[in-house]
Amino acid sequence: MSTHHHHDQDFLFKYVFSQDHKMISKQFLITGFIMGFIGLIMSTLFRLQLGWPGESFWIIDKLLGSWAENGVMAPDKYLALVTMHGTIMVFFLLTAGLSGTFSNLLIPLQIGARDMASGFLNMLSFWFFFLSSVIMLISLGVEGGAASAGWTIYPPLSALPQAIPGSGLGMTLWLVAMALFIVGSLLGSLNYIVTILNLRTKGMSMTRLPLTIWAFLLTAIIGVVSFPVLLSAALLLIFDRGFGTSFYLSDIYIGGQVLEHNGGSPILFEHLFWFLGHPEVYIVLLPALGITSEIISTMTRKPIFGYRAMIGSMVAIAFLSTIVWGHHMFVTGMNPFLGAVFTFTTLLIAIPSAVKVFNYLTTLWKGNIKFSPATLFSIGLVSTFISGGLTGLILGDSALDINVHDTYFVVGHFHIVMGLSAIFGMFAGVYHWFPKLFGRMMNNKIGQLHFWITIVCAYGIFFPMHFLGLAGVPRRYYTNSEFPLFDNLLDINVLISTFAIIIAFGQLLFLYNFVFSALRGPKAPQNPWDSNSLEWTAPVEHIHGNWYGDIPEVYRWPYDYSKVDENGEYIGGKDFIPQTTPLYDNETDEAH
Amino acid sequence: MASITLQDLNTKAEIRKKTAKPLLWIGIVSIVMFFSGWTSAVIVSKGGNGNWLNIELPFAFSLSTIIIVLSSLLFHYGLISIKKDNKKMLKLAVSLTLVLGLLFVVSQFYGWKELYSNGIVATGSSSTNASSFIYLITVFHVLHLLAGIISLIVVSVKSYKEKYNSTNFLGVEVSIIYWHFLGALWIYLFLFLKYIA
Repeated sequence: MSTHHHHDQDFLFKYVFSQDHKMISKQFLITGFIMGFIGLIMSTLFRLQLGWPGESFWIIDKLLGSWAENGVMAPDKYLALVTMHGTIMVFFLLTAGLSGTFSNLLIPLQIGARDMASGFLNMLSFWFFFLSSVIMLISLGVEGGAASAGWTIYPPLSALPQAIPGSGLGMTLWLVAMALFIVGSLLGSLNYIVTILNLRTKGMSMTRLPLTIWAFLLTAIIGVVSFPVLLSAALLLIFDRGFGTSFYLSDIYIGGQVLEHNGGSPILFEHLFWFLGHPEVYIVLLPALGITSEIISTMTRKPIFGYRAMIGSMVAIAFLSTIVWGHHMFVTGMNPFLGAVFTFTTLLIAIPSAVKVFNYLTTLWKGNIKFSPATLFSIGLVSTFISGGLTGLILGDSALDINVHDTYFVVGHFHIVMGLSAIFGMFAGVYHWFPKLFGRMMNNKIGQLHFWITIVCAYGIFFPMHFLGLAGVPRRYYTNSEFPLFDNLLDINVLISTFAIIIAFGQLLFLYNFVFSALRGPKAPQNPWDSNSLEWTAPVEHIHGNWYGDIPEVYRWPYDYSKVDENGEYIGGKDFIPQTTPLYDNETDEAH
Repeated sequence: MASITLQDLNTKAEIRKKTAKPLLWIGIVSIVMFFSGWTSAVIVSKGGNGNWLNIELPFAFSLSTIIIVLSSLLFHYGLISIKKDNKKMLKLAVSLTLVLGLLFVVSQFYGWKELYSNGIVATGSSSTNASSFIYLITVFHVLHLLAGIISLIVVSVKSYKEKYNSTNFLGVEVSIIYWHFLGALWIYLFLFLKYIA
């Protein structure tokens, strides 16, 4: 074999078909971010339409072409953009992008493993995701446009190809892409769970795991339990669409013509969909909670408050997430008693959530806080988790939900509690572990500016939406200018759209910081944040197998920050004691 | 760096030993959830539909049940044999299991044929939800079973090459867990379709 040929192969297997978790992590991150930016651009475009309905925009004309004659977005294409924005953000950025990136990067490094349980399955997981992303993007360009039934793709809109333009090939490709996505996600989850349970280094007991790992573990478990159900729902939909079954359809007319479908029910789809759909919220949120717990403890130089309570509440959230799906269906004619049951289980989630918030705040309290961009975004998550969580109490209660169902109140709620929290967690993670990902440091100042622009605009966008919702403005409408009732609310939409435009430009700061730092940033030191966890003992440059020589052994939990002896002196002389440091004489193990 | 490569080889085998079965178990959990999605869907559909058609399962499906139980027992006997280093018995047991596995698929086809000749069809205007579900659930079980058949082929080829012995039979174990699972899954689906759907 010639040297040259060997090099080619090296390149292919190192950067493309890599089985190394660190490379796969970067692949997930970059694919996720590309999808995220596409989703962001979509939202900015339809915010233009919502803020200034019917006006012509040069940018819309340029970007959307035949979707927007004379620069005015066509109504059906508005639906396609909303649908694709939701799909891309929820699944491609915040599920695969977030979990894929950080589970892959951190699981082997933080538990002390050479790699994932199966590098091959891990590679497949990424490529299924990548293929799914490509198909989802292709669906934007097919005749009739992309899927337009909303990211929840309720039948009959999604089940009858002739229903609206977006119900055609675009919808089919959506389903194909999601089927591939689910397979990829399952392969990833399998690996995460088994790696965490079976490949921990010596001394790394479950109660010495960083909270990130607990979060990734629970996320993967929810994924394994709920994604197959979405697959089963999607398959029934595929059969209804293409093969003449009637699982979701009954007595349907189109254009006065009776269709053959009989005996099914669209409500069935809602049950199956939300059995995934609600846990999906936590698939998106839990990794962000884990990431920020770790960051807040490290950056406040304090042990995380209530480590076991944090684990317990995540376990409780994960469990409860699978028995609350009915709260998305209060207005489907659900038996009020059943509605009350779902209200009860839903409101129960407030308890573990409140425990987490309390622990976040008590960890921050009197901490020696270093305000890195990662810290800021983590605190941002605590903020959004509270403000979005509180409106969740309203929506989780069937009696209240009915009044604001399918209004902008819902849009405001879930964007804050799930969208912002998760993306803040993701940003925090990228800023914090960038040295581990790329061996270089990001620029702090630009990062801080990025945070302030993002949080101010984010609240500027989503907070006023609650008022729109309370006034009854329905979500997903192309324009509300036909309803005199909403005439005096138009200014709010102008405000929201203005913030949306600013936030979109604000993300360019991040993009610049990310790309520039990855290529030209200052070289990262071994342990830039004086952190205790195991990943910072691995060499800065990525090597196959993660550690030269033996895998380090672990002697303590990862949160021994500012630990003092009876004289008030730091044990070990520094305000942190890495997990690899054996217990000092007379020191007690804090692995609570 | 050279030492890493050597270590790698060791750890790869070690990792596989530690993780092959857990990976399969969690995969099984996801398959269980997939089918429970559909069987719950049957219950929801039935509840909301006054004209639900109760379909009598074809006799061939009962035959399928017997075949798959037999195959599981045989395969298990193969596992016990290889633990005692009886390679001959393993070969015989695995090959017979493979034959029974294929017979199971054949019996499923006979079942579908019987359903079809009784006018119970999967799609189209004369289909009902009940009939569509029967085909869908059984067909997807067979699709999962094909993966089991592939693993049986691999295990039989390897057993003929005498790759397994009393200290090295992870492949047999992994294959057998999946095969038992497929059997259990079929029994559940069979009883579900017979008594609940």
